[in-house]
Amino acid sequence: MLANTGPVAKLYLSIIDDVIENMKELFQDEGLEDQVLDDLRHLWESKLMQSKAMEDFRNNNTNSSNFVLQLPPNYKQTDQEAAASIVIPARQNVSSLPSKNSADGLATFSLPASLTYPVQIPAGVTLQTASGQLYKVNVPVVVTQAPGGQQPASHPTQRAAVQREVSAPQPAAAPSESSSLPASCLPQSQESGFFQRPYVPEIPLGDDEPPPQPEHVNVGATASPVTQLLNFQISAEEALTQTAQSRDIDEILKEVIEEEREKAGRARTLSAGNTHHQAAADLGMDLDYGYRELSNIVQLDGSADNSDPEEEAAPLEESDFLGLINAEAIKALQEENGSSDGISISSSDDEGPDDLADVQEEDPLNSGDDVVEQDTPDLFDTENVIVCQYDKIHRSKNRWKFHLKDGVMCYSGRDYVFSKAVGEAEW
Amino acid sequence: MDSSGDEALDIIITNVVATFRTRCHLNLRTIALEGTNVIYKPEDGKVLMKLRKPKITASIWSSGKIICTGATSEDEAKLGARRLARCLQKLGFKVNFSAFKVVNVLAVCSMPFAVHLIDFTKNNRPIASYEPELHPAAMYRIKTLKATVQVFSTGSLTVTGPNVQNVAAAVEHIYPLLFECQKPKPLCK
Repeated sequence: MLANTGPVAKLYLSIIDDVIENMKELFQDEGLEDQVLDDLRHLWESKLMQSKAMEDFRNNNTNSSNFVLQLPPNYKQTDQEAAASIVIPARQNVSSLPSKNSADGLATFSLPASLTYPVQIPAGVTLQTASGQLYKVNVPVVVTQAPGGQQPASHPTQRAAVQREVSAPQPAAAPSESSSLPASCLPQSQESGFFQRPYVPEIPLGDDEPPPQPEHVNVGATASPVTQLLNFQISAEEALTQTAQSRDIDEILKEVIEEEREKAGRARTLSAGNTHHQAAADLGMDLDYGYRELSNIVQLDGSADNSDPEEEAAPLEESDFLGLINAEAIKALQEENGSSDGISISSSDDEGPDDLADVQEEDPLNSGDDVVEQDTPDLFDTENVIVCQYDKIHRSKNRWKFHLKDGVMCYSGRDYVFSKAVGEAEW
Repeated sequence: MDSSGDEALDIIITNVVATFRTRCHLNLRTIALEGTNVIYKPEDGKVLMKLRKPKITASIWSSGKIICTGATSEDEAKLGARRLARCLQKLGFKVNFSAFKVVNVLAVCSMPFAVHLIDFTKNNRPIASYEPELHPAAMYRIKTLKATVQVFSTGSLTVTGPNVQNVAAAVEHIYPLLFECQKPKPLCK
């Protein structure tokens, strides 16, 4: 497998940062709050993470040591050095926690994401994720994994009294929307609170809320003295159920992402002023958010005339295509009457041309009658795409050779970024 | 124009070239961006579209003229041309399939004997020409049929003509001439 999983994620995140930074002013000029920009950023990142295009990033981060616990020196459990990161004590009644977490001073404790475990984290524990965010748990919480199981196990999100020790450049985020989506919890359940894995960059935003906002606590703790089941203020929250949590969240995410996409798409069309961009954006809908910009490149070569007044160069979206098909169907129906004539004409013509020097027939294209559709028109209606620039593309008969550069390949849902690529194919 | 004798010669049609018109202007860029299996050649001002079945390559110009090559029979050429026009129709152009004409047919044929090209050229002086330094085959042009036959010393022929019938006729025509000038094949075939 390609070993560029880490770099891809880093690249994408850096792109996100870049874009957001550059858009800050524009947004402000437009009169939009910074909050909106933050929402955009969160949604973007959450969509990115969710799209599995950077799955490796998540896997790498969660499978490897994810949580470095730094317990305060006065922590009863073990007598560690104050500065040392200390393992979570064995107090946790974990079903299948790996043996890595021995009670005696392992420097770091890694919670393998793939395991389902209720982890009881006592108060006063400071957790640090691989990305460097530190979270101090002031309230005993129980961290479990979402029943969907896809998302690696969670990370305890914040409580009202959370203080983030790592400052992140987050303006006050919309409390409910920003951090909630990926990290929603079950308000209702009495058992261990379920978490979706809150995407790490998301959490900080939630944390930025001023402490006296207990309603933004999003963890359900059970079997602990302080049980805080707090609701998110998303409307979609009610849709969350225990069993279908992950799925619902996906739907919610999708809805929000679509909203966001429309917004961004509108913004883009404003700036681009060209429907092609919209189409490209639409066409790239299934692709990773990150390289939507790349797919907006409009081909500028060739004769750019539009001498087909009736046929404007509209992007061939599904709706258009259906429209075309309907038109064809109507035509076919209309021509059915004339089809018999057409067939006789064509048959006589087949015998004719051998003798005639010029065949001057005005044979109507009996669409659907004579002409058969291409077999397997979408032989491989694939989502695997490469967006790049080319150095050289060569063809001999039906053998193609590609020399590509500076591109992104989305293969099996995963993204691979390259500066040079060579390929061969047969058509 | 005599019959070829007892054995039947296998005339294999390798290429049929046909043209037709769509009678409407075609936006090459649209075809290039939205069509499937297309190669855009802006420097030549045309788009190549390849069909898998029948195996056909078509050159499409913005004027609406289309040249269709690669078919193995006249019917196949026509079918391919219609399929192609249908593809363009689906892309949104108001295509009218008209003026379909097979322009060229290329066939190969093999004589059961080798040919002595120099004698052949001598016997058919003005009609046949042979320039071994330029091309290893003797060229024989049949004016009446508008066909051209290239004769190789191994006895293989390539025949090009405006349609399949002419090609067949050309082979019939040239067979006796070649028969006269045959040279016994060497032992190692």
